[in-house]
Amino acid sequence: MKKRLLSVILAATMTAALMAGCGGNGSKSSSKKSAAKGVDTSKEGDHELSVYAWDKNFNIPALEAAEKAYQKKDPDFKLKIIEQSQSSDVEDAVTLAGSSNDYSALPDIVLFQDHYFNRYVHDYPKAWSDAINKTSINWDDFGQEKLSYSTIDGTHYGVPVDNGTVIFAYRTDILKECGYTIDDLTGITWDKFDEIGKKVYQKTGKYLLSMDGDGNDLPYMMLQAEGVSQFKDGKPNFVDNKTMVDIINVIAKLQKDNVLYLANDWSDYTDQTIVGDMVAGVMNGNWIIPTIEQVKDNSGKWEITSMPTLTGAEGYASNGGSSLYITSNCKKTDLAADFLAYTFGGGDGAKETYDAALTNGGVITTNITCGKSDVYTKGVAYFNDQPIYQKIVEMGSKVNTVEQSDYHYIARENVAAAIHNIIDGTSVKDALKEAQDQVTFAMEGNDQK
Amino acid sequence: MTGFPLVLKKDDPRKEEIKLNNKGIQTKQRAAGFMFLLPATVLIFVMSFWPIVRAFIISLQTGSSADLHWAKPVFWNYMRMFKDRKFLLTMGNTFLYLIIQVPIMLILAILLAQLLNNKDLKFKGLFRTMVFLPCATSLVSYSLIFKSLFATQGLINTVLRHLGIISQNINFLGNTGTARAIIIIALIWRWTGYNMVFYLAGLQNIEYSVYEAAKIDGANGWKTFWHITVPLLKPTIVMTFIMSINGTLQLFDESVNLTKGGPSFTSMTMSHYIYNNAFGTGVANFGYASAMSFVVFVLVAVLAVINMKVGDTRD
Repeated sequence: MKKRLLSVILAATMTAALMAGCGGNGSKSSSKKSAAKGVDTSKEGDHELSVYAWDKNFNIPALEAAEKAYQKKDPDFKLKIIEQSQSSDVEDAVTLAGSSNDYSALPDIVLFQDHYFNRYVHDYPKAWSDAINKTSINWDDFGQEKLSYSTIDGTHYGVPVDNGTVIFAYRTDILKECGYTIDDLTGITWDKFDEIGKKVYQKTGKYLLSMDGDGNDLPYMMLQAEGVSQFKDGKPNFVDNKTMVDIINVIAKLQKDNVLYLANDWSDYTDQTIVGDMVAGVMNGNWIIPTIEQVKDNSGKWEITSMPTLTGAEGYASNGGSSLYITSNCKKTDLAADFLAYTFGGGDGAKETYDAALTNGGVITTNITCGKSDVYTKGVAYFNDQPIYQKIVEMGSKVNTVEQSDYHYIARENVAAAIHNIIDGTSVKDALKEAQDQVTFAMEGNDQK
Repeated sequence: MTGFPLVLKKDDPRKEEIKLNNKGIQTKQRAAGFMFLLPATVLIFVMSFWPIVRAFIISLQTGSSADLHWAKPVFWNYMRMFKDRKFLLTMGNTFLYLIIQVPIMLILAILLAQLLNNKDLKFKGLFRTMVFLPCATSLVSYSLIFKSLFATQGLINTVLRHLGIISQNINFLGNTGTARAIIIIALIWRWTGYNMVFYLAGLQNIEYSVYEAAKIDGANGWKTFWHITVPLLKPTIVMTFIMSINGTLQLFDESVNLTKGGPSFTSMTMSHYIYNNAFGTGVANFGYASAMSFVVFVLVAVLAVINMKVGDTRD
């Protein structure tokens, strides 16, 4: 009897566990491992929108600010922010929807990485809505380079949120020790930079620049500062691209001279070189600022400026960032478009949105008018009371628009490998040829026409 | 029908009846057996075999996952592979791991098993647990631990520097040779204990009297090991070999978490490259990734067959 009872209990538990397991997988998109929960946009109220975002210290506060701003226009408005653990979860959600040809699990709006967007419109055209074109957004009031990611064949798909403008931050105390000021590093050639860097390394043992050697963003940023792209007419253009060859030579030389430190991966780059205080300079998209600020002891010692270039002119570039896009699953496109136009799009709630986004999340706008707000002109204590946000917006408006490609990250990966090989002794020409072949190969293989 | 089968005389008239009855019972039993098998079989078909068939179909297609169409010629993805230098590089890497790591690991495992099988050894349980313990750690966490151990500012560098063996920190994971070596060391650490358990089980099946007989005949330790232990363990050795080959060819976690395939792809494994083609760097090239997966599958199958043929002593 006892045995039977036990077996009944066991069977009951197993059934319950099985049911629980199945129940959890009931909704379509949660079969993904990520935290991506499916949303049912048809069940939302008339004044409700859902959005995917991924960083609760960065872009989620910006969205909360926008919600609050829009409630002034529509008091019943509710924005359901669904947090994802990382940006690739949003990409995966679109891939999943596209692969199954069922877009009903997508939210009304997604925050999407700029460099990936072209590729996803190309691969999953049915996932997106172009409702944003019906609004009266003044597109000229945005950094044009930023818009180039979200505009495809003249059609706007997204509204910019953050700003990827590249900053070059230097430790002014270390520069002073070596006899330089930040002005000596503004508007210089890379050769001059190398010369100063060598002195800094000799005197203090600190590198003047570091980068993730695997996801090496240097070639892209340095080329953009020259106004040159790694792509030409949709094809990789490495070997015959004289500017690119020069840039790669500079990177290899900086590395050899102990001016540049190439970390093994992203976490080494942030934790070891920046937070670990190995460097006297950091060059990356301005979203790197929170990482720099993690070292409390160095408060007041940093200042930012533009990038060096090959010619010695001040260089401006942009790296990374994301925009908000309306999906094809959105049933209330008018509301979604109006919400975006009113807040991030530069409408009546834009100033309030962007001011709060900067204060609460450190999100910097690419909207030129909003960048003139008082919040932006204030000095930042960590950066020696320099009004860095104003400077970033100003630099952002000068970034050259260069040809973008769906294969940005494949190019980055292969050029990074080429740099490794050059440092190991391969000739620049051979290494770049190999990288170009690899990118071409990947492009050919993705879709047989 | 207790006491069945009955012992009946050759011409017993009841025999036919029992035979018929017997048949009925057998059918019933068989039906019940199939009923028990059915849920698992259906699940395996739906969850395992159908995806394999689908993957094969996808491997003949090209395009984005929303718009897959047949490749022209159909085996285009497979033909591409031979021109893909990066795929060939990752294949070379994987075989390098296989050729170096598997023999070292299995020899170590068999020696450890032999040591721990010693009847007079004290704290046997403790030692066995210690050797097996690495297998209890998750692949990702142990990879991350190895990564921090061998980081440029990591423990190993610090220890070596303080011992005066090196004067400057070595970037272990940033150089091809050392990065590959560390993956191999990590694999050996992780999997030796696992294989040792199989050998221990195998050793315990060998009668102690066989060893005693050998001792009486004057065989020394090495001779007993080579002429008694190894031949009697042969089935276990073949099994561990197949499992290790299979596991190494599908190596993924270490490549992704320890080295990220770097520097410049020289420590990347095939599975990592397949993953990158399907999900990494925004490519979503499912057709090509599936085709490469099938090549790995064929490689595993071929190596397993060779192994079984070599290990087969029946003829």
